[in-house]
Amino acid sequence: MIRRTFHPLPVAALCELAVVAMLALFCGAGVSAQTHPRAQTHAVANSDAAAAPVKSLGNRNAPITMEVFSDYQCPSCGNFYENTLKYMIQDSVASGQVYFIHRDFPLPMHPYSYMAARWSNAAAKIGKFEVVDAALFDNQVAWSADGNIEKFVAAAVGPADFKRIKKLMEGCDVNPNAGVKPAAFNNSGQVDHGCLLDSYIEQDKQLAKQIPVTQTPTSVITYKGQRYPAMPGFVTWPILKQFFDSLMKQ
Amino acid sequence: MTAEGRTTFRRIFLLVGRLALGAMFLFAAYAKLKPQAAMPWSVGSVRTSLSMFAMQVDSYQMLSPGAVSLAAHSLPFVELAVGLWLLTGLWLRFSTSITTLLLAGFFALMVRTYSLGLEINCGCFGPGEQLGKKSLLRDGSLLAFSIAVTICAFLTRKKRGESVTSVSVASEPQRAN
Repeated sequence: MIRRTFHPLPVAALCELAVVAMLALFCGAGVSAQTHPRAQTHAVANSDAAAAPVKSLGNRNAPITMEVFSDYQCPSCGNFYENTLKYMIQDSVASGQVYFIHRDFPLPMHPYSYMAARWSNAAAKIGKFEVVDAALFDNQVAWSADGNIEKFVAAAVGPADFKRIKKLMEGCDVNPNAGVKPAAFNNSGQVDHGCLLDSYIEQDKQLAKQIPVTQTPTSVITYKGQRYPAMPGFVTWPILKQFFDSLMKQ
Repeated sequence: MTAEGRTTFRRIFLLVGRLALGAMFLFAAYAKLKPQAAMPWSVGSVRTSLSMFAMQVDSYQMLSPGAVSLAAHSLPFVELAVGLWLLTGLWLRFSTSITTLLLAGFFALMVRTYSLGLEINCGCFGPGEQLGKKSLLRDGSLLAFSIAVTICAFLTRKKRGESVTSVSVASEPQRAN
């Protein structure tokens, strides 16, 4: 009869090794996280940079889509936001009837509009578009006077989010609209200064060209895939709501 | 030009003028009522077109939302009625006067909006036409044309009235006899 011999030592040693390895892995991860905080920040920043800015509100599958080509420094756009879009967001967007998309169309005659659009896009990249969009329009008169947009963005979001937004704004300190007179304005000249956010603004401007949009605010309404003619100018909320209702009754 | 030639010219001008203005008003009404975005003709699509026109009226920033809605939902039908009235040729002095008053009102509104610097759609012939120098020139020309047609309508009527009077005066002695 062959007796199987049991060797407890190697098994115990293996178990011990496994536990040590697990502990080492666990602790090592902790240590590397503690000793390399920058690496983690970079990972977050990189994911922020890669993310596309979401400048829309509401349900993507809503029957009505409303795109608004807007300039943050244009008084009429501010008026439109405060007296119409705010109510629309609370009512039709909240109820799932309307999907709202903000499109940037900074006009060259407004010196800080392009910078404001950059802040908005940076905020949109980290999912803070709604609050920053509101803050920019709510304080339009204040920052239009001195161009201090940062102050209002910081007040609208928490310190951690503001840090992320600031990180995304790196390389965006040169204001393309500053000192540029409308007649001398060159569209192609705006992307030559290394601000990564500008590509999103330029994309919106390209869309505007296709429609075509020439002024702000301009609303483009699509109902069940059918696009209605672009509507430039200010429209009051009751009249816009009446239009939405007539579309829904069709 | 002889007096008879002038009368003939006036009558032709009046005929062409009222037909042109009538057709223009009918087209303006059609452009506002026609379904947008490839929708078929239906009560719902016409209602949507009128609501879209209401947004254009609203962008002039002159009326309250209630008044905007009322104006937008009635103006295309007024234009339709005036267009048909001009085409029939009935009570021309009144129809051309109303046409001129309407065009003068539209033109004044456009001048005011343009001077305020509002960059909006004209809404004159449906959506998509920007209010600018071109549309102002066109509407100004139409107003001038309409005034000329109205004057012509009054002069022609006066002439007819005069001829009717002269005929009746000439026939009076016969009756007396």
